[in-house]
Amino acid sequence: MIKQDVLDQYEPTIGIECHVQLNTKTKLFSGASNDERGQAPNMVTSPICFGLPGTLPVLNAKAVELAVRAGKALNAEIAKVSSFDRKHYFYPDLPKGYQITQLDRPTVGKGEIEVPVNGKTIKVRINRAHIEEDAGKSVHPSGVGYSLVDLNRAGTPLIEIVSEPDMHSAAEAKAYVQELYLLMKYSGVTLGDLQHGNMRFDVNISVAKKGAGKLGKRSEIKNLNSFRAVERAVQYEISRHVELIEKGEVIKQETRGWDEAKQRTTAQRSKEEAMDYRYFPEPDIPPVVLTAEEIEAIHAEMPHLPPHIRRELARFGLDQATAETLILQDAMTGSGYVHTIMQVGSKDSTGAAKFAASWLSNRDIKHRQDHPDQLGVPSDDQFIAVYKMVSDKELSSNSVDQLLFKLKADHTLNARQVAEADGLLQENDTDALALAVGKILSDPANQKAAADIKAGETKAIGFLVGQVMKQTGGKANPAAVAELIKDSLAK
Amino acid sequence: MITIADIQKRIKSGETVRGIVEDALSKVEASADYNVLISVVREPALKRADQLDAKLKKGEDIGVLGGVPYVAKDIFLAHDTIATAGSNILKNFDSPYQATCVNRLEAAGAILIGKANNDAFGNGSSTENSDFGVTKNPYDKSRVAGGSSGGSTAAVALDIVPFSIGGDTGGSCRQPASYCGVLGLKPTYGRVSRYGVIAYTSSLDTVGTIANAADDAALVFGVIAGQDDRDSTTLQDKPASFMPADNPTKPLKIGIVKEHMRSDAVQPEVLAAVNLQAKKLKHAGHTVQEVSLPTLDVSLATYYIVAPAELSSNLMRYDGVKFGYSAKDAKTLEELYGLSRDQGFNAENKRRILIGTYVLSSGYIDAYYRKAQTVRTKLINEYAEVFKNYDVLIGPVAPTTAFKIGENSDPLQMYLQDLMTVGPSLAGLPAISVPSGFDNNKLPIGVQLVGAQRSDALLLSLAKQLEDSK
Amino acid sequence: MTKITVDDVRKAAALAKIAVTDAEAEKLATELHSILGYVRQLDAVDTTGLEPTYQVTGLTNVTRADELIDYGTNREDLLKNAPRERDGQIEVPKVL
Repeated sequence: MIKQDVLDQYEPTIGIECHVQLNTKTKLFSGASNDERGQAPNMVTSPICFGLPGTLPVLNAKAVELAVRAGKALNAEIAKVSSFDRKHYFYPDLPKGYQITQLDRPTVGKGEIEVPVNGKTIKVRINRAHIEEDAGKSVHPSGVGYSLVDLNRAGTPLIEIVSEPDMHSAAEAKAYVQELYLLMKYSGVTLGDLQHGNMRFDVNISVAKKGAGKLGKRSEIKNLNSFRAVERAVQYEISRHVELIEKGEVIKQETRGWDEAKQRTTAQRSKEEAMDYRYFPEPDIPPVVLTAEEIEAIHAEMPHLPPHIRRELARFGLDQATAETLILQDAMTGSGYVHTIMQVGSKDSTGAAKFAASWLSNRDIKHRQDHPDQLGVPSDDQFIAVYKMVSDKELSSNSVDQLLFKLKADHTLNARQVAEADGLLQENDTDALALAVGKILSDPANQKAAADIKAGETKAIGFLVGQVMKQTGGKANPAAVAELIKDSLAK
Repeated sequence: MITIADIQKRIKSGETVRGIVEDALSKVEASADYNVLISVVREPALKRADQLDAKLKKGEDIGVLGGVPYVAKDIFLAHDTIATAGSNILKNFDSPYQATCVNRLEAAGAILIGKANNDAFGNGSSTENSDFGVTKNPYDKSRVAGGSSGGSTAAVALDIVPFSIGGDTGGSCRQPASYCGVLGLKPTYGRVSRYGVIAYTSSLDTVGTIANAADDAALVFGVIAGQDDRDSTTLQDKPASFMPADNPTKPLKIGIVKEHMRSDAVQPEVLAAVNLQAKKLKHAGHTVQEVSLPTLDVSLATYYIVAPAELSSNLMRYDGVKFGYSAKDAKTLEELYGLSRDQGFNAENKRRILIGTYVLSSGYIDAYYRKAQTVRTKLINEYAEVFKNYDVLIGPVAPTTAFKIGENSDPLQMYLQDLMTVGPSLAGLPAISVPSGFDNNKLPIGVQLVGAQRSDALLLSLAKQLEDSK
Repeated sequence: MTKITVDDVRKAAALAKIAVTDAEAEKLATELHSILGYVRQLDAVDTTGLEPTYQVTGLTNVTRADELIDYGTNREDLLKNAPRERDGQIEVPKVL
């Protein structure tokens, strides 16, 4: 186990390549379905997916459009002219023996994104993003001498996003991939189903002594498919590098895999020499030429992205953590939280938006998980009404929950009517409260408690408040009651 | 010398399509010694014939090529039979889909009766590189039919069928057409869909039309040409007709290609044939002058970098995994790849794959592949310059008439047979081999006409003029 | 130009995954040397200011709409030429 003070002497440098599966109906170069979920092997394929002799690729226009969207989300240059190249290597799940990708002229060029990490933001530069086709899948059942190939995924459209090595910790790496996920999901570029491998991350990492002036030897961890795996793998790899350096050993420039079960990286079969892919321009696909107008038209169709949403939510007074929670929740579950908050914020400037955001974040997320049949979100008007009652101290926090959980199921329900009908309104009337307090204080059973309070033991206040609550059937405003009790006894 | 009109006359006079197909099939058998076909399509062809006969009985239209039998080079995928590309590595390949060309010919009523022999994957200029034996020249069995579409041209020369389709990447329809005394048209690149055509050199491959008559070639070409959604490199425009009758020529300026008329490199009778055709064109009202395209001198070198490079890429997929020959005794994946490919490909395939791999490999790609594609630009520009002042170019198709089987055993010697044909291929230009007499050994001579991009109809019209002036 | 050796042949054969025999490799070295020697005449060609041509059609933006296409083939059709098949998947010797 490597000590933190040793680790602190080193600066990790991390770059990440992310493969994003594009949200198209059909594959990149053939009209076979792009949805292999639930399909038996080799069911969503075509002669082109199989690389049969005589087949030719035909480019999916939607894939180009989504690539342009991705470029906008990455604040990147969009190439006016882009084209494809062949990358050659042998592997059973690569049917043509070459992958059609973009090397010389990718559709998306240099960009930069801002990534929120631990309350601040870092800038991560994008080197490029290019369109390419995915390979099929190989499985290697244990105990037998064969492997099996399924070409359902062969030809799925991907965009590969290559970052500059601008990250310097596991936390930053994790934050970056999460931000990529949000950007690609919000922009409609991908379905973002991480369980089905819609996004895969390859991490390049090296460490060097702080102030060393040059980078250390690099290793690559391939095929991570969750934010947590990225964070853990990077953490592990940093330690592994530092340990080796401290021991004076050499770091091999190699490809490693992440073993989720063992929580460690392992060396994959290393190749004797770097592979020569013999890239050359793809003769079968004419170049893609985009005009400024076309690019602008694609951008104009895009929905609001997280950076814009964050700015808007900040205007409503939300803190960064709550805003991030809502943004992420919407992406992962389609909850529609952000839209609701925006609506609330546009109609109310007294703080309802912040209240709603806080409630959704702290109360509703868990409720949805526990009650998968109750996925509604209260309407903007309902939130505004509830917030008014809260501001007027008419609702206890329990009542707020009860009320909103009920309202969210039916937007026609009126908040005040339901609160009244369900007896959720707090008693705030000072006279009524004073009456109740008076009753409790004059009860002989409570004299000891009263004496304790007078003597300075504030704990007993809670007991007496409880009595008043019982007396009023839970309707009294406990804070107001406590104040009244203190005042009465102070006299 | 059978033509499509001959077939149509026979049908009009009451002969059944079945009878015509059976006739063609018996001619196939009779010419077995020439080794024209790799596979024969019998039952499916007769079934189609019967379908057309039924339509005829009802007075229905059977298509502009209705009842006409044809053969296709074995690089075309068709439902009715296997496609080998002339190679052992695809010896039993039964394609689940069909080439666009075959679909279009079928829709027009033509009947596929066999797959023609060819040099494996188009790698050759004689069909000696076919894994199914050489195709003998119809005029002299001791000589080659030419390649790589030797079977397609021999089938027409032997009057088995009035037309056939082949592949022309560097001369593979034109050269065997000249050796066999038939017409061979290489179209403008992109005119005809390559979907379902087993690929050799993606940026050069074209579908060639072979026939005895210019009108037939034009008719067939009209059926197969045109944009195809399955092939992104097909041209979107198409003239209304390629028929010579619909494309009369005005007086044209014709250039004799100086670089291809060297008396030390070309058989004297071939030069004489070119000059004779040039004279005929002059008599027909055109002007003929010598023109120089210096870059043609390096066109063969350019071709033999670009073609092997793209071939090595297109042949990566033949790995014993998804289809094709698979080494049975392979114990590991590496062995499966290595043995399947070493055993399945022939010597010429391997030569070209290795050359292609070498010229694309890191450290060499700039000096070889990129340089070659840049010389290609130079050639394209040169042609464009010339076509500002000339309408058509004329010259030999090949340095000699058909050579003897086994004569060009040195690979480089064999490559030199493509000297005159690779130029138009690299530039994507249309070119046609026109039968132009015989040499002293009674072997056919072909003369090549080359036009600017999209001038296919013009070439066919000129070919017809030369035909008529015989 | 430097001689093309058996080693050069073996390197290319390794990339192209062709298990050439020793005899083949020897012969290929000679043949490749001859052929590559021939094509090197391009070294002398002046191509200053010219860009490579990879496609001659001049076409651009050839795309298709994002709609399903029926190619008339099903899984059985596509697998029928596979040398080894198991449970609807293509079988290969174990990939290590």
